[in-house]
This record gives sequence, structure tokens and C-alpha cells, in this order.
Amino acid sequence: MNSFVERYSTTSATGQLRRAQRLADEEDEFSDAAWGSSAGFGNIVKGSPSFMVPNTPDPTSFLRLHTDDHADPSCRIKIQHGTTTLAFRFQGGVIVAVDSRATAGSYIASGTVKKVIEINPYLLGTMAGGAADCQYWETYLGMHCRLHELRNRERISVSAASKYLSNLVYSYKGMGLSMGTMVCGWDKTGPAVFYVDSDGTRLKGDIFSVGSGSTFAYGVLDQGYRWDLTDEEAQELGRRSIYAAGHRDAYSGNTCNLYHVKEDGWKFIGNYDLAQLHNQGYGYEHRVEGRSSANPPEVVATA
Amino acid sequence: MEAISHAGTVLGVLAKDGVVLAAEKKVTGKLLDLSSAKDGGYGGSGEKIYLLNSNVIGGVAGLTADANSLVNYARTAAQRHLIMYNEDIPVELLAQRLCDMKQGYTQFGGLRPFGVSLLYAGYDPHYHFQLYHSDPSGNYSGWKATCIGANNGTAQSLLKQEYKDDIVVKDAIGLVLRTMSKTMDSTTLTSEKLEFAVLTVDPVTKQPKAKIYRPAEIDALLVSEGLAKKDEDTEMKAA
Amino acid sequence: MAADTTAARSIVKMKVDEDKIKTLSPHLLMAYSGEPGDTVQFAEYVERNIRLYQIRNLYALRPSAAASWIRRSLAESLRSRRPYSVNLLLGGYDTATHDPHLYWIDYLGTISEVPFAAHGYGSYFALSLLDRGPLEEGLATLKRCIDEVSKRLVVSPGNYKIKVVDKDGVREVEL
Repeated sequence: MNSFVERYSTTSATGQLRRAQRLADEEDEFSDAAWGSSAGFGNIVKGSPSFMVPNTPDPTSFLRLHTDDHADPSCRIKIQHGTTTLAFRFQGGVIVAVDSRATAGSYIASGTVKKVIEINPYLLGTMAGGAADCQYWETYLGMHCRLHELRNRERISVSAASKYLSNLVYSYKGMGLSMGTMVCGWDKTGPAVFYVDSDGTRLKGDIFSVGSGSTFAYGVLDQGYRWDLTDEEAQELGRRSIYAAGHRDAYSGNTCNLYHVKEDGWKFIGNYDLAQLHNQGYGYEHRVEGRSSANPPEVVATA
Repeated sequence: MEAISHAGTVLGVLAKDGVVLAAEKKVTGKLLDLSSAKDGGYGGSGEKIYLLNSNVIGGVAGLTADANSLVNYARTAAQRHLIMYNEDIPVELLAQRLCDMKQGYTQFGGLRPFGVSLLYAGYDPHYHFQLYHSDPSGNYSGWKATCIGANNGTAQSLLKQEYKDDIVVKDAIGLVLRTMSKTMDSTTLTSEKLEFAVLTVDPVTKQPKAKIYRPAEIDALLVSEGLAKKDEDTEMKAA
Repeated sequence: MAADTTAARSIVKMKVDEDKIKTLSPHLLMAYSGEPGDTVQFAEYVERNIRLYQIRNLYALRPSAAASWIRRSLAESLRSRRPYSVNLLLGGYDTATHDPHLYWIDYLGTISEVPFAAHGYGSYFALSLLDRGPLEEGLATLKRCIDEVSKRLVVSPGNYKIKVVDKDGVREVEL
């Protein structure tokens, strides 16, 4: 009888604990820390915030010890910093274009990196900052998107998916995560692009570019962008922007991966070698070859 | 519930410019030491009317020990609100806080509910003057005039007959005392048997002002309302 | 009613216009700035708790009570493992007493009720102007502040969103 009473009593210590645990279990989808600092009600449930953290006394300094290439060039892990990624929304869907160079310090570690992460047939994530962070958490996001589909019998919206990611990285804020990503896709509301970074920032927008080469990409992108671009024009604009960034930014380059998201999901358009693009007419010397004020280009002439 | 219907009557009337609360004291007698109550101790003159917060007076009917625990809880809840929001707790919210607690004790086996009914007379800027009643089950409701404790049915019907919507505090005091004198077992009203409190708003500061009457003040009030001991007519004439 | 209850803050971030003024209740506005991520998370936390109060009690928190609650949340957060770094302006109209209130709150949990307020670099220009200028016409004064900031601040934000809260509730206005 005593144990029975305790089971249903509101005040006994074990009863309260059990209730708290039950509450916590119901909301296992979100780590409590997603609610932010302990001023949030969420943390009260489990007593103290808990989520997975590397098994060292101070993960932040541990990470810095092994990754800071300024202080110690011989450290084991180098984080990929140089990148250009872009995504934009237009009448025909979303264009996602990225370069493929991975740099570790001053070396080019790889020239064939896939910086677009295919979360599911309708969602793409881009990768800038820590390659492992992006790859791991976006794959993890993909898992939760699938679970959302199974549980709710409909696809997750881009907004919800990006919010999930942003809450997730926010809970690790200040612990050394480094990501700058765009979650792109098509849902009931149409094409959508969200920028999410490891600060916890999450922005909805039409045009984003992330990475060391983003300024160069923005230059081309903003000039050439219109909402009513045709599919071909839009793809060309994405390619051209990545080329510009690859050309000017030492940490970006090699090839350009181009994706186009439409109502029926994303499609891989192609992989383009930036050096080839340069020689096939993107480069300055090719564009001005044989031209002078004596034979001005037609565009200028008609204008 | 049983205990409450035997407990001393507590009666509240909501007026246009204030709320009036009166209670019948059960524990009396010549040998009871009232020396501290005579001086008007903090928070109330006796066993039934308590200041819960600067803007709420509570009147309790039922098991006194349970009531003390609830009053303590109410005062703590009001202070918790003050610390979070820097304002006096809204009256209904305070009633809710107590009811949440009372309800909790009806839900689970092995625990005994609070054997207490309360009247809350209060003021807040949202709904101005208010009068609430809560019972041991955790139900609460707002009233223009109501009564708990012994003979509450009689008192209730008396109030129903005499209550007017635009009643002012001065008339409400009279109404409460008259109803009280008719409801109580004893024929005479004295400060020994009665507790009395009025909540108004200070015209200058616009802040709620709770006044719990001291025994001497109650006697004076009874005299001025013509309800003092009926066998002392001569004395009244002299006054 | 001549008091100034307008709250306005700048934007511009990642090349988009972000609305940095949240409507917390029918008569309450909160403008926020500070650490990216923290701002939105904290604003949503506040928004939802204030909404919850409104659902539970049928009436909204009064501006003074909301301000105290927000300040306390920030102060508790400051003493936690990872505090929110958010600065706030809270403007509201008290429907119980019929008067406007403006509160200046910073990430340390300082609160002060003020007739006018500003956060960020723009405040260095705007505050002196507000100290001197006439305050009868809130929106006109606000426009002068924005003009001054645009003129003198090195990296001045280009776009402003302006919201007004008064007895009729919240509305967005153009200057």
C-alpha cells in the first residue's frame, strides 16, 4: 500500500522525479538545452541540461588544442575554412551551387569534395566551415526529417527542418561547432532557402552565399539576379558566380557542383571544372579577345 | 465539507468601491486570553480573517490548522508573483494558485484534502474589486455577495434579497453586519464573536487599502450601525 | 496623449531585412539586439511565455509586469552556464491604467523606465538628440534620429522597420 500511495502522490521525492522523467521522455525529440540557458523552463525538467558532449573535462579547450592552426601548425585536425557556397530562390525553384575545394591550412586537401549534402530527395544542405560538423549534423537532420515523415505522414517543411538544425547547433553554442549552411528545398509553400549557422542564426531569404569566397559570389549573383530568371539562366548564374569566387578566392576552386530544386525534388545538374569554364569563355581574356572600341560587343552597341 | 458547514460563518459583499468581509469567531469564552488580539496583532485580529497580500484579504472557514497552512501558501505565492512581475498578484490568479494546490490533494490516494473554504476579497487593476470563493475540491467562483460556513444557506438568501448592484461600501458594511447578526447562533454581536475587514482603494495613492478591524473598532462600528447588544438600550440612548 | 511609445530598430544582416521587433501581446512590443542566435532564441522564449500567461489568465501581462519578468529571466540567465547576450527595448500600453511605458533593458539585467531609449552605436547620436529635441511628435522625432544616424554613423543601416503601440494596439508605420 505504501508503495502504491507513493506512486500516485504528488509530493514524494520519487514521485516528482518519475513525473519529471515522464515529461522529459515525451519531449525527447528536443534536447533540453535547445531551450537555451537555464532560464528556460525546459531545463527544469531534467534538473540540469544534458546532451552529448565529448568525454573530456573541457570540450571547448580540447577542441581548440587540436584544431588551432595559428598556435600550432602541427596539430592533428585542420578545419576546412575556404569555401564558396551559394543558393538562391527564383521563379523556377532553387539553385544550389558550390565549389569542391577542401583546404587544410595552406594545402589543398581535396579538389573533389561534395559540399552539397543530400538530406532527402526534397532537401539539400550546403557545407561551409567545419566539414565534419556539417556532414554529421546534416545527415543527422536527414534522419530526423525521415522520422518526421513517418510520424506525421507528410514531408517536413524547409522552415521546420532548418529550425530543427538551428536549435540543435544553438544548443552546442560556444563549444566550437563551426558551420554555415543553407537548407534548401521545396515544400507546400514553394521553393525555400534558409541560412543557418553555428551561432544559432537562422534567416529566411532569397539569396545567400557562405564561405570565404562568398563576397565574390555575391558580386556576380546580385548583379545577375532576377526573380523571373529562366531555368537555364539561373543555372548559368549559379555556375558563373562559383566560377568568379573560385577565380578570386584562393581557398575556393577546382570544380563547381550545381543542383536545381524543383517541385518534384532536387536534380543534380552537373559538375563543372572551373579551369575549363575559364578557358571556354568565362575568363576575362576570352571575353575581350579581339575586341576593342573598333568592334564593340553587340550588347553595348544596341544599348 | 462536513467541517465547513459547522465552522463559523464567513460573509463577503462586493461593493462598487470596495469589498467587505466579516467572520464569526467560534473559539470564545471568558477564559480566552485576548490580550494580544486587543492590541491588534499583525495580519488579523484572530482566527478567520487574514491579510494574504497588500491587495487581498482572505476569510477562512473549516479546519484552522489546514487554513494556516493555506494562508501561508497564499502569502508565499503572492510574494513569488511580486518577485517575478514586480506587481501585486491579480486576485483571480491567487485564487487559482490555491485551488491548484487544493485540487492536487483530491487527485491522489493516501492524502487528505484541505478541509477549508476561503473567501478572497481583493483588488487588482485588471478587474478592480473582486470577491471569490473556493472550496476544498479546488473549485472557485466569483461572487457579488456570498457566504461560507454554518448557516450559509440562510445568509445566502438574505443577501440575495437585499443586495443591490450599485451598493457602496458604507451600505455594504451595514448589509454584512445585519446579515451576520441574523445568521449567527448568538443573539448579540460583539467584537468577541466577530471579525471584520474592508478593502478599498486609497483615493490619493490609488493603491488598495486593506483594513482589518481591531476589536475596539468593531465595537464602535456595531454601535454606529445600531447593532450593539440589544439589552443595553439605555446605554445606546446615552451615547 | 503626447507620450512617445515608438520603438524602432535597425536591421540589415546577411543581406536580408529581418524584423527585429516582436509583438509580444496586443499592446506590447519588444525590440532586440545582441549576440546572433541568442536574440531570436530569447525573443521567442519571451514571446511564448507571455503568450502562455495570456492564455492562462485571459488578460495579457501589463507592460511593467512583463518588463520585470523579462528582466528577471535575463538576470537568471546571466548567472547560468551560458547566458543570453541580448539587449532589449520594451514598449507597451497599459490597458488597465491607460498609459504608455518604455523600458530599457540590457543583457546584464539592468532595467530602467525611460521616456526615450536606444541601444547600439546609433544611440550615441540619437540620445543626445532626444535629450534636447521636442518629444511631442514621436514619429517626427524618430525620423530625425534615424536621419542623424544615417548621416553620421560609419556603417549605418539602410532600412528601418517602425512599429507603434498605443491604445489601438500595434501597427507598423512608414516614415
